[in-house]
Amino acid sequence: MRLSFVGFAWRNVWRRRLRTALTLCGIGMGIGAFVALVGFSRSFEHAWLEMYANAGTDLAVVQKTFLNTEVDQSAGAVLARIPQIAMAAPMVINMMAVTPEVNTLVYGWKSDTFEFSAINILSGRRFQDGTQEVMLGELLAGSLNKKVGDSINLQGTEFKVVGIFRSGSALETGAIIMPISEMQALSGMSGKVTAYHVRLKPAPPGVSPEEWRKEAEDAVAKDLPGLRAVPAAQRAANNQLVVLAHAAAWGTSLIALLVAALGIANTMAMSVFERTKEIGVLRAMGWSRHRVMLLILIEAAALGVAGGAAGVLLGWGALHVLGALPQTASIASTTLPLQTLIDGLLMAILVGVLAGSVPAWRGAKLSPVEALRHE
Amino acid sequence: MSSATGRPGGAAGAESGGSSPWILEVRDVKKSYECGRIEALRGVSLVVARGDFLAITGASGSGKSTLLHLLGGLDTPSEGTVLFRGECVGPMRNGLACIDLDTYRARFAGFIFQSFHLLPALNAMENVQVPLLGNKGHHEHREEKARALLVELGLEHRLRQYPTQLSAGERQRVAIARALVNEPQVLLADEPTGNLDSVNSARILEILAAVQERHGTTLVMVTHDLSIAATAHRHIAMKDGRICD
Repeated sequence: MRLSFVGFAWRNVWRRRLRTALTLCGIGMGIGAFVALVGFSRSFEHAWLEMYANAGTDLAVVQKTFLNTEVDQSAGAVLARIPQIAMAAPMVINMMAVTPEVNTLVYGWKSDTFEFSAINILSGRRFQDGTQEVMLGELLAGSLNKKVGDSINLQGTEFKVVGIFRSGSALETGAIIMPISEMQALSGMSGKVTAYHVRLKPAPPGVSPEEWRKEAEDAVAKDLPGLRAVPAAQRAANNQLVVLAHAAAWGTSLIALLVAALGIANTMAMSVFERTKEIGVLRAMGWSRHRVMLLILIEAAALGVAGGAAGVLLGWGALHVLGALPQTASIASTTLPLQTLIDGLLMAILVGVLAGSVPAWRGAKLSPVEALRHE
Repeated sequence: MSSATGRPGGAAGAESGGSSPWILEVRDVKKSYECGRIEALRGVSLVVARGDFLAITGASGSGKSTLLHLLGGLDTPSEGTVLFRGECVGPMRNGLACIDLDTYRARFAGFIFQSFHLLPALNAMENVQVPLLGNKGHHEHREEKARALLVELGLEHRLRQYPTQLSAGERQRVAIARALVNEPQVLLADEPTGNLDSVNSARILEILAAVQERHGTTLVMVTHDLSIAATAHRHIAMKDGRICD
C-alpha cells in the first residue's frame, strides 16, 4: 500500500486500536443520536408538509402569538367573505393516549372539509358531524387491531370506529379523525379551533400565485386582527409541535456530540503526548509546525469521519426501530433524509477537527529539541 | 572563545551556493537554558568545509549534542550566529539574510539519532519516505528514491519490514536512508553507533564514510568514543561548553 499523508494519519490513529475503537463508539453514539433525533424531527416536519400538500391547503390561519394556537371559530365566517379564499376548514389537533403505550395525533374536522380529498377510505365510511364516531388511519388501526364497528376509548369517552383510511401523510395514516365538535369537547376548546386551513381560489389572469397568496394573507391580517395567514410550508416548519421536536432533537444531539467531542479531544491529547518524541523526529526531518498540525487535525478528522459513518448507520437503525415501535410509528416516517445524512457526516468532521485543534496546536508548538528529549 | 578550522574533505558539495567557503560556520555561539542558569555552550566558533567529516567528542554535558542541534537547525543559539553557506540559520539577526529553520532542516540537513527513532507504524520503505510526505512530487518518485537508498544500504530484502522486525544495525541503516532521502548537504549524526554492537558499529561507520564520499555530503558526528572519532577527517573535543582541542 502506498504511503500518503492521509494514510499516515490513519495509521497513527489505528495504532491504538482499542482506544480508537472506544473513541469511535463514543462518536458513533453522538452522531447516531443526532441522525436519529434530527432525522425523526425532520421527517415529522416533512409529514406535516405532505399533509398540507395532499389536502391542497394553501394557507393556515393561526393566532399571531407563537404558543397560543387557539383561534375563535367565529373567524370562519370572516374568512368565507375574503374574495381570494375558496374554502376555509376549521380544525383542531391534539395528541392523545389511546392505550397506555400508544399516543397518537387526533384531528377534529368537519365531515364536509376539503381536507378529506387527501383521504382514501379503505373500509367503512366518513363520520357524521356531532356524533361519537371516529375514523382510524390504517397504521394505527393495524397496531391497535381495530376494524370498522369496533369501539375505542378516548379520554374516557367511547367512540365507534366507522372508517379506516389511508393517507399520503404518515401523520394522518397513524392518526384518528373525528368530528370537530367532539374534539373540541375532549380538548376543552369549545368555540375554539387550532387553525383554519384555507384553500385559495385560482389566481385571476395577470396575477401570479404568489401575489394572489400575498393578497389573501394581507386580507386576513386586515379583517382578522390578531390572526395571521401563513403559507402551508411555513406552517409545517413552524408549527408548535415541529418546533418543539426540532428543539428537543438538536438539544439532545448537541449534548451527545459534546460528549463525543470530549472523547476525541482526550484521545488526541493522549496520542500527541505519547508521540511527543515522534513529533520531534518529524520536526527534525523538516516538517513544519503547520504540517504537524495538519497531520494531527487529519487524525482527529479521520476519527470523526469513521465515527460519523458508524453513527449514521446507528442512527439509521434507530430510525427503523422508532418506526417499528407502536409508541412512535404513527408520528413520522423512518426514511433517512439525505440532508440529515450529510449533516451527520459534516457534524462528525467538524466535531473531530474542533476537538483535535487544541492537541494539534500543542503538538505543533513543541520545540524539536524538547520533543526529542521527551521520555 | 574556542575555535577550530576545518579543511575540505574528500568530496565536493552536492549543491553549490552562497559565497562562503564554508558550508557551516559557527560564530561565538552561546546557548543557555533556564534564564541563563545552565550554560550549555559558552562561546563556540567553528567552521566546516563542504564535504568534510567532522567528529565532535566530549563527555556527557560537554555541549556536543547542543552544538549538533544548533548546526542542524533544531534549536537557535542564545547568542552568536550559525551560518549555512554564509546565510544565517533561524530568525534574522543583525540584518543578515536567514534561512527558515524548517526549510533548512527539510532541504539541507539530515539527522541520524542514537535511538534510530523510526516510526513504528511504518515499514522501512515508508519510514524513509516520511520526510517527503506532504511535499509536492509523485508517489512513484518518492518510492523510487526510498528504494534506491535502501538498496544502496544493503536492505533490499527488508523493504517491507517494520522496525520491530529489523535488527538494530538494520534500523540504523533505515534511519540513514531516511536522513539522505532529502539529499541533504549536511548530515548530522548524534551517537549513531551508541546502541550498536562492535560489528554493527563498524558497518555503520563504513556506510557513513561511503555515503559521505559518494554523495559528497558534509558529515558532522557526535560521539563519546575516541576510536570512532578517529575515523573522521577532523576531530574536535568539547568540555564545559567550549571547544578545547
